[in-house]
Amino acid sequence: MGANFLSEYINNIIYGVKSFITGMGLTLKHLRNKKDLVATLQYPNEKWPLPERNIGFEPSDYNVIRSRLHVDIDDCIGCLQCEKACPVDCIKIDTLKPPKGNDYDCGKTSHDTQKKMIVPRFTIDMSECMYCDLCVHPCPEECIYMVGGPNEDKHEIDYEFSQYERHGLIFEFATSTDEDILDIGGETYLEERKVKEEKRKKGEKLEGIVKGESSESVDEDQPEKEKHKDPLLEIFNIVPDKVARGIAKKAVVFGKRSGFDFSKISEEVEGRISAAGKTTSEMSTAIETLKNYKPTPIDIEDPSNSKENESSSKVEKGVEELASKSSDFNVKSMDFITDKMIRGIAKKTFMKCKRLKLDVNATIDSIISDLDTNSKLDNDTKEKLLSFKDIGKTSDNLSEIKETIKEESNSLFDIKLLNAIEDKMIRGSAKKIYMAGKRANKSSSEVVEDIINELSDKMDDKTKGLIGDLE
Amino acid sequence: MTSIVDYLLNLLSFIEIDTSLLLIFVILIPGIGLFLVMTVNAMVAVYMERKVSAFMQDRLGPMEVGLLGFKGGKKFWGGIGQTIADAIKLLTKEDIVPDNADKKLMLLAPFIIFIGAFVTFVAIPFSENLVVSDFNIGIFYIMAMSSVGVIGIILAGWSSNNKWSLYGAMRAAAQIISYEIPIGLSLLLVVIVAGSLNLGDIVQWQSNHRWFILHSPFTFIAFFIYFISVVAETNRTPFDIPEAESELVAGWMTEYSGFKWAIFFLSEYANMLIVSIVASIVFLGGWLSPLAILNIGIPEKWMFLDGPILGFFWLMIKAMFLIFVMMWFRWTFPRLRVDQLMYLCWKVFIPFALANLFFVSIWELIF
Repeated sequence: MGANFLSEYINNIIYGVKSFITGMGLTLKHLRNKKDLVATLQYPNEKWPLPERNIGFEPSDYNVIRSRLHVDIDDCIGCLQCEKACPVDCIKIDTLKPPKGNDYDCGKTSHDTQKKMIVPRFTIDMSECMYCDLCVHPCPEECIYMVGGPNEDKHEIDYEFSQYERHGLIFEFATSTDEDILDIGGETYLEERKVKEEKRKKGEKLEGIVKGESSESVDEDQPEKEKHKDPLLEIFNIVPDKVARGIAKKAVVFGKRSGFDFSKISEEVEGRISAAGKTTSEMSTAIETLKNYKPTPIDIEDPSNSKENESSSKVEKGVEELASKSSDFNVKSMDFITDKMIRGIAKKTFMKCKRLKLDVNATIDSIISDLDTNSKLDNDTKEKLLSFKDIGKTSDNLSEIKETIKEESNSLFDIKLLNAIEDKMIRGSAKKIYMAGKRANKSSSEVVEDIINELSDKMDDKTKGLIGDLE
Repeated sequence: MTSIVDYLLNLLSFIEIDTSLLLIFVILIPGIGLFLVMTVNAMVAVYMERKVSAFMQDRLGPMEVGLLGFKGGKKFWGGIGQTIADAIKLLTKEDIVPDNADKKLMLLAPFIIFIGAFVTFVAIPFSENLVVSDFNIGIFYIMAMSSVGVIGIILAGWSSNNKWSLYGAMRAAAQIISYEIPIGLSLLLVVIVAGSLNLGDIVQWQSNHRWFILHSPFTFIAFFIYFISVVAETNRTPFDIPEAESELVAGWMTEYSGFKWAIFFLSEYANMLIVSIVASIVFLGGWLSPLAILNIGIPEKWMFLDGPILGFFWLMIKAMFLIFVMMWFRWTFPRLRVDQLMYLCWKVFIPFALANLFFVSIWELIF
């Protein structure tokens, strides 16, 4: 027993010393081989390259995967379509148009469109962007798009698009220099920008935020806005009592919604005020004014609440008024057309004719013929359009005009006409062929031939006929 | 051999002021010097500890904070300013005192520990003649003063009114008192051979003969017994059961924060330096150049033998190496159980140290 204990004791000590040396050797090895063994990656300075992966998209579709918006600013014509399309208002564009007499050349886009203004500011706040892609589609020059898909070469490392400061997420794409802006006569723009920049540097709140500072001022502002909208409500501003003013205004709005005339509205107001016991001398004066109120022409054009229940009779009345003065025929006259598509085509044709400096009759004729080719023309619209014409001055040179229009668009029909194709797939391929043809300066008939050749096995007869008509 | 205090007294004796005032002045100068040594040591050692631990675990350690614009890249010097930033952070932290704590004792405890470490430095010769006060019982004084700290530890544990603190303090007391026996026995071995308690004389003996670690197999074993025991006495891993962060949060330091905790930290690293210096002086030839013992035909002027400054340099090299070995221990071995700790001390170290003492006496008689 005693001998056993002693040998165990000594064995323990020998084992202890051995494991001591083994352990120390192991850690020393790691200490010395730090170049090979250190696993840490100094993240913001070093990044792992993104591994290749297949996530079920074609490489050409990578642009629609969440990435980052990019603008080819040289192609931007400043049409503000993307700014309007953005649901979260993260795109902010300023444009400067050269004044008349200034022959500053804004340049051409890669689609050969002549630019008419410069874009001194094009900022996209990617911290607000929700990657909905809605701004990409309306762009007529295809210059705003998503970049940085998972396997795109140019962002091999920059896959997270992170920034050190929040301000860094606001990307500025505009490249116009101060000289450009001065050339175009934008001294005031530069000054305003300077003032804004100084305010920002000082940390002062910019305009929009100042209003929200005190809750009272907000309450005051709200009715003021309504006043501007409607002159009827302004009448009651002479009444000092807030409560009475409120009741009266509510009554007016109610009366207008129900389609009362002015005497009936004033009766309504009087009834409500007397019920509340707020009758004063100012109030009765105001009601008297309301009774004798004569609407100015502005009222008809822009009544704030009649927009919703736009009655056809009113529009007709407007059309008649406009028709009586042929010189008043402008692009807004087309607003009576309810269908967006037709309105768009009509407006486009109008603008083309305007550029060609055609007279009113010729313009209307070409609009009708254009709509006709799209088979979108119904009798109602046609009659209304014809009503714009001066009687007895029907133009005979309809075919001539059509030709000129076609010549102007590089002897090629408009790509929008292809929208009539119902099947999405066929429409897309047709558009692609169209674009290829456009680049190759092909004529309409050639392009149509191409489309039919390419897609004949997919198309049904109806579509074939439609495309055949385009020739 | 003269000390710094004697030297300064001689130097300033021409100033005609009261002797007691002069003495205070003469004590203050080396005191500030010692404090600087302690703080600089703590900073360097903390940085070294973080880097050594990082590299042993295949990490990089602190990499971001540079010193005066020097960042050091991905090498060992990366993040060299980290310790300074940490120290500033630590000193600006809130000093939290628990409601039910014994506030006076809690305030007193860190200072007792700090003083225990500080006064030990007084007897340590950093180089030939570079000693604050030259005791002829140097080793005895150091042994006595380094044991003062345990009073502070028990005070800290008791006054915190916290179960973890008390457990940690009790464990620390048991551990430190236990391990003082092998430490004393292994140092006694050297005292027997050198025939003096004065550290300067011990180094002189090694200069005349050879380093104690190479003197005999018994002194060789004694060095390891001493070194492992002082690792236990400074409460470092694998003997860190008083702090045992996975069991006791932070042991007796649990309730401390801010400046008081910084003092604990300072004292811990100062204690590491003290035991490393004592080990270097007693077993590794002190301020003697290690190149001299190699004896491979280097001309004497290339051996960097002379002078207090070179001596200080060699001593610090040896001490820092021992501190590095302590860190090496820490990041290699897991913590011992309480019974394993006591087994190692009472059943291994003390019998071996006693046997060493017996055999080295015979060795000295024969050779």
